[in-house]
Amino acid sequence: MNRNWFVNTAAFALSCVAASAAYAGEQVTKSGTASTVGTISNQKLAQVMPGMSTKAQVQALLGTPWRIVQFNDCGEAMDHQSDETWDYRGKDSNGTYRVHIEFDGHDVAHLVAKIPDSVAGDQGTAAKIAPTGSQTAMKM
Amino acid sequence: MFDIKFLGAVQGLGFSALLALGMVAQARAQAYPPYGPDIPVITNTEGASGAYGKDLQKEPAPNPWNHESIWNMRVEGYNDNQARPIYQPLVVNQDGREILYTGNLAGTALNPLTGVSESNGTSIIDVTDVRSPRFLYHIPGPAPIAGSYAAAGAQMVRVCGGNTLPNASTNGTSGHWYLLRAFGNAGADESHQIWDVTNPSAPKFVATIISGLSNTHKSWWECDTGIAYLVAGSAADGWQQSGSKQHLYIYDLSNPAKPTFIRQFGLVGQQPTAPVATAQPCATAPSDTCYEGTTNPPSGLHGPISMGTTVNRIYIPYGVSTDGVIQILDRSKVLNGCLTGGPVGSNPDASAHCANSPTQADLLWPQISWITLNPENGGHSSMPIFNVPIPEEQSNFLDESPQSKSLLFVSSEATANNCYGQAPHDSWILDISSETTPWPIATLNVPQFPGNFCGKGARFGAHAVTEAIYPPYYGKIISVSWFNAGVRIWDIRDPKNPKPVAYYIQAPTANTESSCSTINGVTKCFNATMNDYVEYDDRGYIYAADRAGTGVTILSLTGEARAAILPQSDQ
Repeated sequence: MNRNWFVNTAAFALSCVAASAAYAGEQVTKSGTASTVGTISNQKLAQVMPGMSTKAQVQALLGTPWRIVQFNDCGEAMDHQSDETWDYRGKDSNGTYRVHIEFDGHDVAHLVAKIPDSVAGDQGTAAKIAPTGSQTAMKM
Repeated sequence: MFDIKFLGAVQGLGFSALLALGMVAQARAQAYPPYGPDIPVITNTEGASGAYGKDLQKEPAPNPWNHESIWNMRVEGYNDNQARPIYQPLVVNQDGREILYTGNLAGTALNPLTGVSESNGTSIIDVTDVRSPRFLYHIPGPAPIAGSYAAAGAQMVRVCGGNTLPNASTNGTSGHWYLLRAFGNAGADESHQIWDVTNPSAPKFVATIISGLSNTHKSWWECDTGIAYLVAGSAADGWQQSGSKQHLYIYDLSNPAKPTFIRQFGLVGQQPTAPVATAQPCATAPSDTCYEGTTNPPSGLHGPISMGTTVNRIYIPYGVSTDGVIQILDRSKVLNGCLTGGPVGSNPDASAHCANSPTQADLLWPQISWITLNPENGGHSSMPIFNVPIPEEQSNFLDESPQSKSLLFVSSEATANNCYGQAPHDSWILDISSETTPWPIATLNVPQFPGNFCGKGARFGAHAVTEAIYPPYYGKIISVSWFNAGVRIWDIRDPKNPKPVAYYIQAPTANTESSCSTINGVTKCFNATMNDYVEYDDRGYIYAADRAGTGVTILSLTGEARAAILPQSDQ
């Protein structure tokens, strides 16, 4: 293979193991596989600033994400749909939620949202985005 | 087992007879493209009035956004695919085991089988028992580059049995199974790979077919001939496209360990020597240096479908979501068109550089026709169904003999969250009985109300037409993935009057990736599933794969949808 993916994957796995020590989680199972639910500090989450925070800064604040998604599909998605998204799972007195952080092509967070599992749908959940006109402003 | 949904119709048969029937059905399923050259025969089960006056059940409104909605379908099984977002599912009857392969979109998630967070690649799930699918293995995708997954993912997958590939004994493929997949999507060093999946719990890497690509996408692999139509592109190849930078690289993969390059191919105006700065549209200013479609250079290719050696046709959609073109090609002329003599389809006037840098004449040699979509729609899928009886034309017309038509099911891909910023994207039925003059005869549409699909978040609109050929469904129903409106199925026995007959919308779970959008300065995020592809296996089970990380749901037909596929005597 023309990529050193094994080494990189192993390195990423080690970082996950290391981060898990700081990310005290429990396993919630639904139909076979697990999603990690942890405690995310609201104070630390508030420090993630759209338009400013980098991936490295987010990882330092919140740890390694539960999941990363990159919808880089047919090359035809609308602007920012294919930006990299980091997901964290959390639980507070209102129930379970996900923290959803989208990064632009410069690895800077441009959207941050704390989205309850039980309250969204056709009402949606408000998100913080980078200031309009900044390098990372959404165009949709 | 033939099909659990047919058990009622065959209650009188003994178990042995049922088993034998099942074996025949599975063998048949492996005979159709892309596994073999045969095409199912469709019998008319409609009255002379077709769909007119049918007292069909009214389509029920979907449930609220956070509930499952289901109509004339039943959930048989589920697997969460380790919360990885799926692009394409493919189910293969692998020596009696039903194996589901999913090509996953980019990212990373924990693989509980290894305890390692792995870059999204190809999932392998045993679905022989649909009620209890077993996740067997995950072949990782590309690692992130400089911490970014922008170039990662392994969205596409095809599988061929070594016994079906040509010259199996000579090539040593007998008894083996091979997986073809894209490795990376859009970056600087993407590739297409072959893996040996004879033991689906322990795949082995075989070969890289081509690397150094800037783009990959949805390929096609004819198992009985070994011919593979890889969607690819690179800065070095010099080909020119708008949007996705990809066209065809055609290989002979009869021996998957030793790929043999045949040629590159694309739309007129995409070839390396096309004068993009001065070219005019072929439709209004035909010349030796024109371009086909509405944009210059023409939009990149999405995914070809070859109907194999019997039909000898290839159908190619270009453009995905905008500036679409659908192209119909003579397969032999595509494969042999760069040869100046010899096999059928060779071109005595082929240019010297036809294989890599063809002239416009080289590209036109195999082209039967091309259809330009309007600029707000692209060509995502183009799946043919041949010789569909037309109920009202079973008497009186023409020479009074029963008439049938060959159809092409085309879709354009919706790409916007909450519908904002784009036109609706639908699917259409084209009559291709006259191949040089395709003509639209019907639209497959899902209205945004009821369901408030533009308001529930994520994408709403058509995506992909099902490609798997399962004979009882062939020419009877058609399935289209409709993102947040789920799996959508139409009764097409009267194709001029297609009738919605079933749907399934998956409820979001904790694994569902949120979709965010900014409209009029307000940014909101929504939890909504997105059905990316719907495919069949050779037992008739229907697989709904979720793009938003909510796994794959296995379904069967009930009610009027099931009745639509039964012989007339059983309806």
